[in-house]
Order: sequence, then C-alpha cells, then structure tokens
Amino acid sequence: MPRLGLRARVSTTVAVGALVLSTAIATLSYQFIRSSLLDERRIVVWRTAYYDASYVEARIGAPDTDYVQVLSSFNPGRGRTPVLVVAGTPYRLDVAGVDIPRDLAEMVEGGQAARQIVHTPQGPVMIIGIPLATTQYYEIVSLRELDNNLRQIGLVLTLVAGGVTLAAAALGWYTGRRALRPLASVAEAAEGIAAGDLNARLDPQAEPDLERLAASFNNMVDQLQQRIERDRRFAADVSHELRSPLQTLAAAAAVLERRQESLDARTADAARLVVEEVDRFQQLVTDLLEITRAESELDLSEVDVLALARDQCKRREIDPDVVTVLNREGDATWRADARRVEQILGNLLENAQRHGGGVVAVRLYQEGGYNVIEVDDDGPGVLPENRELIFRPFVRGSNAERRGDTDGAGLGLAIVARLAESHGGRATVLDRPGGGARFRVELGRQS
Amino acid sequence: MSGVLVIEDDDRIRRSLMMALEDEGYKVRGTATAEEGLAAHRAEPAEAVLVDLMLPGIDGFECVRQLRRDGDATIVVVSARDDTHDIVAALEAGADDYLVKPVAIKELSARIRAVRRRNRGGQSSPGTIVVGDLEIRADAGEVRLRGEPVPLTRTEFLLLCELGAHAGQVLSRQQLLQRVWEYEFGDERLVDVHVGRLRQKIEDDTASPRRLVTVRGLGYKLQR
Repeated sequence: MPRLGLRARVSTTVAVGALVLSTAIATLSYQFIRSSLLDERRIVVWRTAYYDASYVEARIGAPDTDYVQVLSSFNPGRGRTPVLVVAGTPYRLDVAGVDIPRDLAEMVEGGQAARQIVHTPQGPVMIIGIPLATTQYYEIVSLRELDNNLRQIGLVLTLVAGGVTLAAAALGWYTGRRALRPLASVAEAAEGIAAGDLNARLDPQAEPDLERLAASFNNMVDQLQQRIERDRRFAADVSHELRSPLQTLAAAAAVLERRQESLDARTADAARLVVEEVDRFQQLVTDLLEITRAESELDLSEVDVLALARDQCKRREIDPDVVTVLNREGDATWRADARRVEQILGNLLENAQRHGGGVVAVRLYQEGGYNVIEVDDDGPGVLPENRELIFRPFVRGSNAERRGDTDGAGLGLAIVARLAESHGGRATVLDRPGGGARFRVELGRQS
Repeated sequence: MSGVLVIEDDDRIRRSLMMALEDEGYKVRGTATAEEGLAAHRAEPAEAVLVDLMLPGIDGFECVRQLRRDGDATIVVVSARDDTHDIVAALEAGADDYLVKPVAIKELSARIRAVRRRNRGGQSSPGTIVVGDLEIRADAGEVRLRGEPVPLTRTEFLLLCELGAHAGQVLSRQQLLQRVWEYEFGDERLVDVHVGRLRQKIEDDTASPRRLVTVRGLGYKLQR
C-alpha cells in the first residue's frame, strides 16, 4: 500500500480526532437531552394520571356503573388512552389498543403504582398503572412525539458530528498546506540550484520553525558552490598545466618530423611514433578540455547558426547547401554560446563523415522551448541499444558498428551531449527515414 | 622589418617554438620577458611577434598594447588561456590573432606566412575608394572620415579596404577571414572583434552602426 503523504496523514489524524470528540459530545448531549425530556414527560404524565384516576374513582362507586361511559366522560387529551380494570376485566375506549403487560398488572394489582414503557408498532408508549380502591386505573400515553423529537435531535447531532469531522479534515488539509508552504520555497531553491543557479539561498528568518533546515540547506549549497568552484579552478589549472608542455611537445615533434630523413631508420621510426602520439595526445587533451568547458558558464550572444553551420560544412568540404533552416524567416540567429554551438556542429559533421557515410542534411529549426540542430547521415544507423551509449565518453562502438570517434579518443559525441546539456538541452540519435542516422541536438532557448 | 619574435617566459616552449619556426624558414628571435621583447622589437622591428599572455613583469595584454602603439607588426597571441574574455581582451588590446596552446607548428607557420603575404601584397591595392563621407586611400594606407584622418591598425585598414572594395555587398565572416587574414579557416571572433574596433573609429554611434552594418545570417556590409 502506498504511503500516505504528509498532508493526507495530518488531515486524517485531525479528522479522526474530531470524529471521536464530536461523536462523544453528540452522544452525551443526546443522552442528557433524552433523559431530561423523559423526566419532564414522566412528571407531567404521573400528575395527569393521578388526577384522572381520582376523577374516575369518584364516579365508579355505584355497583352498576357503566365504566366505558365514565371513561368517555372525560377527555384525557390526545395520545392518552384510559383503561380501567375491574376485577380483571379491562374497560377501555379503544378496542384494539395496547395490552397491559402482565408484570405491570401484577404490580398494580398488588397495590403499587407503576409504569412501564412498551414499544409498539405505532411508537413507544408509557403505561401508568394506579391502584384504586377495588379497581386499577391505567393510562396509556403515547411517546411518539417525544420519540420523534429525540430522533430529530439525534439526526441533527449526527449531522453536526459529521460536519465537524469533515471541517476538521479540511482544516487539517489546509493547515498541512500552510505548514508545508515553507518547504515549497526549499523545493524552489533546490530546483534553482539544480538548474545551475548556485546563488539560490533560503532566508533562515522567513520561517522560525524551519530555521535549522534553512541553515543546513544554505550550508549545503555553500559547500556545493565551493566544490564546483574548486573543480572549475582545478580544471582550468589542469588545462593550463597540460597545454604548456603539450606546446613544447608539439613544436619539438614538428622539428623531429621535419628531420626524419636525416635520422637513421630506427630513430626515424621512433620519431614518427612520438609525432603520432603527440598528435593524438593533443587531440585528447583538447577534447577533455572541451568537456570541462561544458561545466562552465555559457558565454551567450546572438549567434548566426546558419552561417556557422555553412562554414563548418565548407571547412570539411561538405556542400554548404545541405544546411537548411526550417522556420519562416529563413534565418537561425539563436541566443547561445557560439563556441559551443560551433563545436557541436563540427563534431556532428565529423561523426557523420567518419562513421556515417557522409552528411546528407543539416536542419536548423525551433520547436517548443528548443533550438534544434539535426544532422542526417548515410551510414548504417545506430542500433537502439547503443543509442544512449554512444554519447558516453570513450565509447568507440563495437567492431560490428564502428560509430563514435574511433580514430580520436571517442569523445566527439560525448562532447556534443555535454555541450547540449550545458544549454539546458540534450543530444539524441534517431533513425533517419530512408536509412542512416539522425543526430538531433536540442538546445534550451536562453533569455 | 624581419623575422619572428617569440616572447614567452617558459624556456622549453620558447626554445621548441624557435627551433620549429627556424625549420620553417623564419629568422627567429626569442625573449623571456615583455620588457626584453619590447626592447628587441624597438631595436629591430620584427615582422610578426608571438606573445604569451602570462608573463612576469609587464603582462601579455600590456605588451600587446605597447607593441601596437609602437608600430604595425603583426601580433599573434599564443596562450594557454582559452577563455573568451581573454581572447576578446587580447584582440581589443591590438592583437591581430589569438591562438590557444597547443598550436600545431604548421598552423602557426601558415598564419605567419599569410601575414607576410599580406604585408608584401598589401601595397598593390587599388586607388581610392569613397563611400559616403568615408574616404579609403588604399595606396597611401590612409583613411579619412569627413576629411579627418582616422588612425587604423594594419588589420583594421585591410578589413576596411576589403569591405570598401565590395561596398554595398555582404561579406561573410569566413570570406573576410580568407581575404583579410588570408586564413583558410579561423576563429570568427577575430572578425567580430576587429569589426567592433573599426566601428569605434568610423561610427558615430557604435550601438546602431550606420556605415558598417551586420547582416543577419550572412556577415558584414559597408553601406554605400
């Protein structure tokens, strides 16, 4: 079972508490109201019954008294039925009324006034029995009205209890949201940081109860920022420290290369190896630096990507007319980091030339919040299982599928992916309709 | 003017660069500091000066500034720093080109050769081009705006000549790189920075240029 959210739990707890409390209060109130109403009714009923009994007794002295006549000579009021029992024979006005229960009759016959509540299909009735000199007088009083009243009160109390419970649940939900609102600002700050805004901080004063959270959150971001800054400095230092000796190597290798003929065969071989490896090393370091650069801030300007793409094509002896812009204006001036866009284009074109049988088309367009670069090639395409893999560093593809930078260090597409990510976008590879691969780079539009 | 001057404080880099450039057929001198380099250049101006940015004492930016003030030599910054800010700052200080280490010797040599060709061939430009109130006297190496001479560096001058020779036509950044710098391919920021510097000298309001305009998607154009 999925765990309930914090708000749902707060809300449920408050609602259950309110339910228990309001039910208890309603029950107690009901009991109290019921007993006081009953008591009041009882007193009235007794008093009237005694009065009626003395009235009846005064009129039944003669031996040939018509008991029914006597009973009908007074009006006991609505809902009251008088019954006179003379020597075990009940005289009553209603023919099919409520029978006097036996145990009550026995008590009254024994000379004791008594009452009993009997439930009938017509509602509850109270039967009062008063012993007279030789007879017993009973009055059957309907409690239906009282019962109806109590029923209504009960209904109202139940509704109130239910309402209170619902209100409590709503209150719990609402206060839950209010209580969690400061956490929303934490979430916002965290999202900002994830998106690269390392200056996002929480105000510890904003919510006293969350001061500790805010303080530790800010501390965490400070640490993160310092660490990123340290990494960046380290990368810059490494970059510088690697570039300088490489410059020496490159120049010295050039000297060796030029003098190959004057060297003996063995030394010339060794010199050639040095020259080749220096070249490779140089490419590797340049690529690595390119990847570390992707971590640094974007250097944004209005970039004429169409011109950039055409130039990149010319540079690689690709017909610049393969580049098309798909929007109405026919231009592709995007706010982006020119250097990175150039690098992305260059690497994609090189990849298509080297491993994809040549460039078929380059498309530039805008879609949603993205500027999109697509490069179609004429190669065998990329197997679905490799489509994510080829954007990882140092992946050169299997022998069956020589995709990725086999001649270089295998960083070309990884650089593309990193640079796309640095623009808040991504790099993917799809099938080109009609064969070949379609490399698609989405760059988040910058403001 | 002759040869190449290498101002580089790293002994090994300087020595290897000098060796490699000598192999390419240049007469090469080298100094470890900007002060020595500036003195050497004053004593005997070099055709091209390679300057490192991180130098003890006077730094590379200042060195470029002084070299530019002193004369017309082609200044190429060769630095390990690849930050755009550094590149733009160096170009704005007056460098003609900026190369990030490690530079392949072939490329370096190609650029210096291009500079040489430019310096020798630059004299045979057509006569005077008049574009509005701008007068470009290619043969005299002089530019006048409303009759007043405008001081331009060699690169700025060549850039303006190229744009002026095709006034009213759009030239792409790569075309300008090829024709002005004589580079087959290069960093387009070179063109942008030099256009920016040129605008400061020939435009009344650089924020909304009227003479040297940018044509989106294509390049730059000198308005007729």
